[in-house]
Amino acid sequence: MDNVRNFCIIAHIDHGKSTLADRLIQACNAVEERKFRDQILDQMDIERERGITIKSNTVTLLYDAQDGERYKLNLIDTPGHVDFSHEVRRSLMSCEGALLVVDASQGVEAQTVANLYLALEYDLELVPVINKIDLPSADIDRVAEEIDEDLGLDPFEAVQTSAKNGVGIDNVLEAIVTKLPAPQGDPAAPLQALIFDAQYDAYRGVVLLVRVKEGTLRPGRKIQLMHTEKEYDVEEVGLLQLERKKDDKLEAGAVGYVIAGIKAVRDIAIGDTITEADNAAAEPLPGYKEAKPVVFSSIYPMSTDDYEDLTKALDKLALNDAAITYEKDSSSALGFGFRCGFLGLLHLDVVQERLKREYGLSLLLSAPSVKYRVLLEDGEELEVENPMFFPDPANIATTWEPFIKAAIMMPERYIGAVMDLCRERRGVNTTFSYLAVGRVELTSEMPLAEVLFDFYDKLKTITQGYGSFDYELLDYRESDLVKVDILVNSEPVDALAQLVHRDKARQRALHYCEKLAETIPKQQFKIAIQGAIGGKIIARSTIGAFRKDVTAKCYGGDITRKRKLLEKQREGKKRMKMVGAVEIPQAAFVAVLKSETDK
Amino acid sequence: MLPGVYLHVPFCATVCPYCDFAVLVGDGDRRERFVASLIREIELWGTATTPELVGADTIYFGGGTPSMLAPEQLGRILEALRARLPVAREPWISLEANPEDVTVESARAWSDLGIRTLSLGVQSFDRKALEFLGRVHDPDAGRRAVELALEAGFDSVSIDLIYGLPGQDEAAWRADLEAALALGPDHLSCYQLTVHRKTVFGVRKRRGELVEMPDDQQAELFLFTHRFLNDAGFQGYEVSNFARAPEHRSRHNMKYWNHTPYLGLGPSAHSYSGRRRWWNHRSVGPWERAIEAGERPVQESEELSDRQLALESVMLKMRTYAGVDLAETRGEVGLDPAIDRAVLERLIAGDLVVRAGSVIRPTVRGLAVADTLARDLLS
Repeated sequence: MDNVRNFCIIAHIDHGKSTLADRLIQACNAVEERKFRDQILDQMDIERERGITIKSNTVTLLYDAQDGERYKLNLIDTPGHVDFSHEVRRSLMSCEGALLVVDASQGVEAQTVANLYLALEYDLELVPVINKIDLPSADIDRVAEEIDEDLGLDPFEAVQTSAKNGVGIDNVLEAIVTKLPAPQGDPAAPLQALIFDAQYDAYRGVVLLVRVKEGTLRPGRKIQLMHTEKEYDVEEVGLLQLERKKDDKLEAGAVGYVIAGIKAVRDIAIGDTITEADNAAAEPLPGYKEAKPVVFSSIYPMSTDDYEDLTKALDKLALNDAAITYEKDSSSALGFGFRCGFLGLLHLDVVQERLKREYGLSLLLSAPSVKYRVLLEDGEELEVENPMFFPDPANIATTWEPFIKAAIMMPERYIGAVMDLCRERRGVNTTFSYLAVGRVELTSEMPLAEVLFDFYDKLKTITQGYGSFDYELLDYRESDLVKVDILVNSEPVDALAQLVHRDKARQRALHYCEKLAETIPKQQFKIAIQGAIGGKIIARSTIGAFRKDVTAKCYGGDITRKRKLLEKQREGKKRMKMVGAVEIPQAAFVAVLKSETDK
Repeated sequence: MLPGVYLHVPFCATVCPYCDFAVLVGDGDRRERFVASLIREIELWGTATTPELVGADTIYFGGGTPSMLAPEQLGRILEALRARLPVAREPWISLEANPEDVTVESARAWSDLGIRTLSLGVQSFDRKALEFLGRVHDPDAGRRAVELALEAGFDSVSIDLIYGLPGQDEAAWRADLEAALALGPDHLSCYQLTVHRKTVFGVRKRRGELVEMPDDQQAELFLFTHRFLNDAGFQGYEVSNFARAPEHRSRHNMKYWNHTPYLGLGPSAHSYSGRRRWWNHRSVGPWERAIEAGERPVQESEELSDRQLALESVMLKMRTYAGVDLAETRGEVGLDPAIDRAVLERLIAGDLVVRAGSVIRPTVRGLAVADTLARDLLS
């Protein structure tokens, strides 16, 4: 056990975490050169493309240290985004130490600080790493100062690296061995193993990634998951060395995998504790928290024929995404679909991408919503995340919406514009503090719903890319909430209904009306598009009728071309959604719904 | 109705900037070779045409500019047709002609060939408009051509006009129409300018040098044209066609609109036998080579399903004032064209069509959107 180190790498996005991981893996020859590829721990295409880690990953490295000993270094990769912070927590709980990577030119960023606090919460020993020292803009002295002042870590302990060029990698490995503590625990004690991640294998079912805290995990034993109280037989345990390496046991201190005939990731809970059924530990490990979706959106197939495929795809996807929730939903405009819950906007984005790429589906997503609380006049309390189920305003006593604490870090010169943005997004208690000369952290309490709509993009624009954003959920606060309906020739389009703050209702309704007017093609009659709260019209636009659509000459009897065009149009009509007598192309829904999130 | 024969003559003195038909500029030798190939194509069809095409009673020379062929060449083509194809004894022959080709001599010669309808590609009586359209004749030449044609005693003299040019207003177009009517023709074809992609105008449009008339103005001008000509005694009978009296309606073109079979000869020509459509190679080269090899120069063909026939029937008939008689279509196609009742009611309410028994007829406003009527009406 003394020769084991369990550690993770934490960093602000793009500070070089994955590259550093790549170099550590290469330095320990954990993978043959010809099989190596960049971001080797990121297995999904989306992770590679976006340069982010979504699923945590783990690898055991064998390292021959300068003291002549061979060490097992368990590198537990953590997701790099706030949406997945519960996964980060699970990963941190499996470690004794962490490498805290700071970019030599960017310095300490919002997430660096947030991650530091997380790491301290779990009592991790930290080794700062100043990465990207090869950059011309690298300012090692300033960054060392920030490490000292902003993070409270000893800058002299910092290892300087250029992961890209492979500089300083040996020093990092030595620091892991010498500065991070070995795990503790008793192999003979009752079993306590933390599930910090799960993967899905088409042949073996769920593969649990675990950190054994106490006791020993062996194949053939009956285990119990302490929170779900389900029992399974252990089929196989082993180490993760990019591929699974079967072993005869996992002892206290070890990080590895367990296969136990579990069918779907849904059946287990990340953060749960494994114990032995007939020699159970007295208590589960602390820190179990259910991952609760906070962002909701309805997903519809572009073509109603694809509903079955979407169902299958979601079932499959949920096998290795324990956080997504979905239930059947139907819209009169868009047909059958699913109301889905996500951990955040990035999670939503990732799921959507995966459904498109891995399952070849063409999808339509309704505007993302948060979960509101509603108190009715008769005293009943409801949670509403789907505008379709928003009660009649006449029966509502009070409504609440979730608030977040947003932390935005940026160079000082953008503070005015960012404060304006926060105010515009109904931010309150906005304060700021200087992190270092010229760098400011602004915190603001704002409704989560306001962040769902292009907030991050706006922030990036305003700060010319220098602003970073992080948030945590605070609480529910009273809010004057209304349901905005969009009517096309007086018929409400259910998929476009949304819940917004009264002050924002007109603006949002106007935006929808204008977008629809731009994207719905002219038809043989005039189309009125209206935004309404209850019976009151708050925004409108009109699409004039087209009055000319005829080929002047049916030349030389070429009827085929004309008929084929007509057949194509008729085919296209099938993909149109009929609202009353108005044909709305899918593109109009896409344009309206997209414009809010991806402006 | 008996079937018709269409002959495509691809030659033009110059290629007009708006034209996307199969045309080329060719010298005398080229034209002679073409005539020989066309006669050979007629022979290749011979009596083996499908029964639906037997007894054709209209022959239409279109183009291009068929008037660029010498009367003697036209004569040989007609002779071959009569000798080789099962055409009627006295077919109604129509010829498209450009004003500059109309002389006392040529008109007499055409008349002697048995040509009954002369369709003149005048396009406009406005000098500026003609320049814009890239036409080689001037307004006076257009007028003279019409006068000569009328004096030569053709059964029908038709004038082709183009309207809806960029910047053209109602007054300018009205003046053009009045100039045409003043000459006393029997028939008018008024085509609204369409900018096709693969034309000079198409290129200029993409470059932003040519801005098309806005849709709303085009619609206004379309409605004006029908109103004005109907009031002037030129009864409209199709989207772009107007006749002084029913007997002056284009006997051949009517066949396209009421689903009557026709045989198309010459490059790019289309044929329809009532079940099948086929079309010749578009360019003269491949068309000629196929004929040289002793093959019919057909590029492709398609067999129509009942549904497709029904769609075509409604689509084509909704281009005409007469509209579609659903009972008749049912008999013809063997399939009930399933009309979407809700759409029909909406179109009636919107004053786009009227219904009388089993007949659905477009109004003039309906004709302006004729391309959408069949699409929407059929469920």
